[in-house]
Amino acid sequence: MPIPDLGILLFLGLCGLIVGSAFMVVTSPNLVHSAVSLLFTFFGIAAIYIYLYADFIAATQVVVYVGGILVLIIFGVMLTNKIENATITSKTHNQIPGALFSGILLLLQFYAIFNTKWLVNDNPEKSSTVMDIGELLLGKYLLPFEVVSILLLSALIGAAMLSRKKVD
Amino acid sequence: MDYIQPYLMLSSILFSMGIYAVITRKNAVAILMGIELILNACNINFVTFNRFGNFATLDGHVFTMFVIVLAAAEAAVALAIIINLFKNIGTVDVDQAKEMKG
Amino acid sequence: MNNLQSIQYFLPELLIVQLALSIIILDLLSLKRWVNICVYIGLGCSALLLCQLSSPIDGFHIFNGMLINDSFSYYFKWIILISTASIIVISNYSKELDREYSVEFNAMILFVLLGMFLMTNSIDLLMIYLSIELVSIPSYVLAGILKNDKKSNEASLKYVIFGSFASGLMLFGLSWLYGISGSTNIYDIYNSLALVESPYMIYISLMLILVGFGYKISMAPLHYWTPDVYEGSPTVVTAFFSVAPKAAGFAILIRTFSILFTDANSLSVNTFPIHNVNWSLVVAVLSAITMSIGNLLALKQDNVKRMLAYSTISHVGFMLMAFSTTSVEGNIGIMFYLAMYMFMNLSAFFMVIHVENNFNVKNIEDWSGIGYKSPVLSIFMVLSLVSLAGLPPTSGFVGKVYLFRTLFATEQFYWLGIVAILNSVISLYYYFKIVKSMYFSEKVIEEKENIQAPVYTLIVLFSAQNILFYMYWSDLYNYIKGLF
Repeated sequence: MPIPDLGILLFLGLCGLIVGSAFMVVTSPNLVHSAVSLLFTFFGIAAIYIYLYADFIAATQVVVYVGGILVLIIFGVMLTNKIENATITSKTHNQIPGALFSGILLLLQFYAIFNTKWLVNDNPEKSSTVMDIGELLLGKYLLPFEVVSILLLSALIGAAMLSRKKVD
Repeated sequence: MDYIQPYLMLSSILFSMGIYAVITRKNAVAILMGIELILNACNINFVTFNRFGNFATLDGHVFTMFVIVLAAAEAAVALAIIINLFKNIGTVDVDQAKEMKG
Repeated sequence: MNNLQSIQYFLPELLIVQLALSIIILDLLSLKRWVNICVYIGLGCSALLLCQLSSPIDGFHIFNGMLINDSFSYYFKWIILISTASIIVISNYSKELDREYSVEFNAMILFVLLGMFLMTNSIDLLMIYLSIELVSIPSYVLAGILKNDKKSNEASLKYVIFGSFASGLMLFGLSWLYGISGSTNIYDIYNSLALVESPYMIYISLMLILVGFGYKISMAPLHYWTPDVYEGSPTVVTAFFSVAPKAAGFAILIRTFSILFTDANSLSVNTFPIHNVNWSLVVAVLSAITMSIGNLLALKQDNVKRMLAYSTISHVGFMLMAFSTTSVEGNIGIMFYLAMYMFMNLSAFFMVIHVENNFNVKNIEDWSGIGYKSPVLSIFMVLSLVSLAGLPPTSGFVGKVYLFRTLFATEQFYWLGIVAILNSVISLYYYFKIVKSMYFSEKVIEEKENIQAPVYTLIVLFSAQNILFYMYWSDLYNYIKGLF
């Protein structure tokens, strides 16, 4: 019996982790459980990026998603519930139409994925992607880079305006 | 893993789960988590296509960077709106916020 | 063209960024009274710059293929700039808005303005996504700018959830399009699509992209946010949402899809996988649903803002009708109609703002007696409503004639024409409900009317275009025709 490749086993384990914790995120009645499961999903996705030779994206994923967005979401969960009730629950509705719709969409996507002839180039592995990304960001993609800074500024001002108290 | 299909399958599963969350959840923060799943699925797609397609220029990686930044901005604004709503109405359930109908 | 060379074609946008940043700094230095003057001067200067740039030119790529610089985009920029500038002027006289947040309001509008400008000329998938988000994110804030008003909060909640969901779907479509073609530039994508053997990926990704654009212009299955957001937001913001982002949405829709669907390389037309599905039929059905939903649901509305929201949806349906022909004439018809639509819709909304400022009104019944209270403005309001309904002698009639003409010229979808004519007839009923309420009900209003000169001027000026373009439409039409 041949020993399976360790990389493939690890990949399958990661996929299991991501799908399982994402399933918890979308179905768990307790919102805190959902938010914590989201942590595992984000970490798993960061590991997937390493499989794809995207080291910088993986680091960014950990820093921004886990360190920033997830913390924001947990703040959101905590601030929008009264502390007295220990379990922060969230009701669901439309389970059957939702499951049907997303299931059909999933099948359609699988059908498309397996019926497309993908051009798979045998690309060599890169030692680091940071330099290439940096050159693209300040060369070809300079305009989007500047625009996104404007967008962040507008989001900052908007969020601050909405959540601050009115000064008399 | 040198096949493209497993990655695409993973991303489409995440995408469908995100859509399921948006349709079924009532709590606005839970819906936001579903939207984050959708954006992550898109990011996996971009990086995968970049890895197996034209790996010489990292367009997909740059695209992913921008999507991550935008997801952060969107989450910040959405949570500010949700918290503001909670201060005024006392709930963040989407179907209980129904001042307007018709 | 590289980044440094392209700056000379990017001056209006740069000025807008500069303006937004400087009014924020003025606010921080507590020089708030200079903000308005600064904004007026800045917008005037960017109009001048736009004027200088917008001579008819062939399109060329700027910023390393991120944007395209062509006359098509300048036409849309003019529509967007005029409507946004008038909104900024009107917003200073609205009683609904909180003076405390006027600087934030202006800054948000200017950020949206920048995003809409970029929407008109993006040709890269990244810029398409980014510009749509730059329009959306400040719009969520604008919808909720009345922080203590429950309706405004709810409007912004619905907007943010629906908006980020739709843009997530669109992003997934964009990622697949990138995967199939290996490029992010639309022209390169078009060239490589012909080589794709299996079309399923293209179908799914195009459908998802249509979702993203359709949400921006509130096309039928994605129109759910429109009535609630329009009703809950302050009226000034509603007026803003109903014209400028729609124009930008149509610009990006027309540009993206007409590039992807051109038949220019006739060698591969038969094997071109995109053409296996009758996309015109898809758009035609969506257009029929959009206009019918908009009109039928508008019939039972009592709230004026909500009714105008549904009327916006039905107008979008009419414009999609011309888009379903996928011809250059159809695009010209849409561009022509958008100019007419801007004037008639904005003047109607400005009248709503004027009435809300002076009298305590919410529903259509509350409008009773206004026809006698402010006779001049009411006549202009009637003119705008007649134009919205598409009757002669107004510009709405001319615009609609062109939309119908492009449909019948292609000799397909006669059923769509019949649906559209029926819808025009239905729309008469609800527009005239307001007229009836204004003139034919006995009610004496005691509140004193306080006429603000700029509001008055803008209503008269914009309504007058309804007559003006009815008589002298050919110049504008020929101008648009010259752009292609």
